[in-house]
Amino acid sequence: MTGQTAALAETMPEPKTAFAERRGAGWLIPLAVLLAWELCGQFGMLPRYIVAPSRIGATWWGMLVSGELTGHAASSLFRQSLGLLIGASCGTIVGVLAGVFAPISRFYEPLVSLIYPVPKVAILPLIFVWFGLGDLSKIVVMTISIFFPTYIAAYHGAKSVQKIHIWTALNAGATRARLIRQVVIPSALPDIFNGWRIGLALSFVLMVTTELVVSTKGLGYVIARAEENLRFDRMYAAILTIAILGFCADRLLLKLRGYLLVGQLMSKDSGHG
Amino acid sequence: MADAAADFRDERPSLPGVWLQRVWRLYPIAVVLAAWEIIAHSGFISPLLLPPIEKVAHEFWQMTASGDMAFHGAITLQRALIGFSAAIIVGIILGTALARNRIVNRVLEPIFIFGYPIPKISLYPIFIFVFGFGDMSKIVLVFLECLYPITIQTMHGMRSAERVLVWTAQNAGASGMRLFWRVLVPSAAPAIFAGIRIALPISMIVTIITELIGESRGLGYVVAFASASFEPARAMAAFAAIAMIGFFFDRSLSWLRKKALYWQADAPAFS
Repeated sequence: MTGQTAALAETMPEPKTAFAERRGAGWLIPLAVLLAWELCGQFGMLPRYIVAPSRIGATWWGMLVSGELTGHAASSLFRQSLGLLIGASCGTIVGVLAGVFAPISRFYEPLVSLIYPVPKVAILPLIFVWFGLGDLSKIVVMTISIFFPTYIAAYHGAKSVQKIHIWTALNAGATRARLIRQVVIPSALPDIFNGWRIGLALSFVLMVTTELVVSTKGLGYVIARAEENLRFDRMYAAILTIAILGFCADRLLLKLRGYLLVGQLMSKDSGHG
Repeated sequence: MADAAADFRDERPSLPGVWLQRVWRLYPIAVVLAAWEIIAHSGFISPLLLPPIEKVAHEFWQMTASGDMAFHGAITLQRALIGFSAAIIVGIILGTALARNRIVNRVLEPIFIFGYPIPKISLYPIFIFVFGFGDMSKIVLVFLECLYPITIQTMHGMRSAERVLVWTAQNAGASGMRLFWRVLVPSAAPAIFAGIRIALPISMIVTIITELIGESRGLGYVVAFASASFEPARAMAAFAAIAMIGFFFDRSLSWLRKKALYWQADAPAFS
């Protein structure tokens, strides 16, 4: 299971320097595709559900200027960030504690191995019955789903701290709290970040999902209403916003990781360049 | 001497002892279930919100006996598995092409790198419009979500295939399909399996999500409809069936991985 989370983090592509180097050539073909798409749109050769890029851009800009987009995006991001923060914090804290104290890990291990492979989003309708249709139930679903991958990553990280480091710290008279703060957490940070990255991707998926099911505000709501009115340009504008937000959040987390983990990434990540 | 030998034998745990220990390790599950049962019977929470376990079990049994469970379960399974298997086939081919062919790499790599953090589920309303409300739009979305991890992992695996092995095979006259099946696939197999292991739970999650959004069949629909009509026991029974499918998928895949990749010692088994 720990291998699974590690593999999941591994799958997520990192920005590559090699890619940046040949950017000139790399961008040519996508640009050509975009141009062909635009031309087809101008000459009316596209089916109704595919909208020309210029029209998506114009609608997007219009919605941005009118403030409509920022309002919906803020409402979506509020739920998403709260769900991510609560779920990932709980997962990380419990995971690190379980990695240090064996009784805690003995309690959580059977539960996690039982629940982790279950698609927890299926409980969403029941959560709606329990907590109402508002923000709370959406945040609860995100919290539950994000807890598991972050727990597993943090547990794995805290478990794989080198014994020598722990012994040295204990020999030097470190208390349990100090040991966790100054030895376990720093060496588990790369794994913890992997868990947070998975949680971040999950939080965006759940943000859209919960809003498509029931909502009165948010980007998923824009998509659902646009679909009912067959306004495909508005739909694409909302999808574009979600894509930009998801992409930027991922890159922001990577930047933060690169900033906090100077020197630690080399040894841990050298295996899969 | 005899005493030492006897001691040695005594230290080996007896078979029932091992089993008892294994069962004892599962005590947290019993704790959680007991807490649920106590809360449900205490009357603090209405049974319309939290039914006791025996009611859920009874509902589960009734749905199984009436054939409802098999009907909806088969539909959910079918959607998940068709999309998932299509993603495996296309993903392995695409991943190989991305790793081995320069032009394909130039065209497709940006799509896979930049598309990865984007939730593909937001495209679902468009798929409904294009493919209709039925199975097709759901299968396409499952396929698309599963395609990303499998393709990217295959690409990584194929790239890290050892040059020397490829050169040796080429020197010996292997090319095309032979090189693919005999050298590239075995050396990329661990990475491909990692991608498949990520994609398998995704296939179930996406199928359930699409059934929650709009459908009249499938286990996700049963959960949504039963919750909306205040039949939580029925919803929980359907959720239990979903959980069992998810758990069964996970276990059978790790079993399959052990069989197929017997040379790989570091199987990511959950200890």
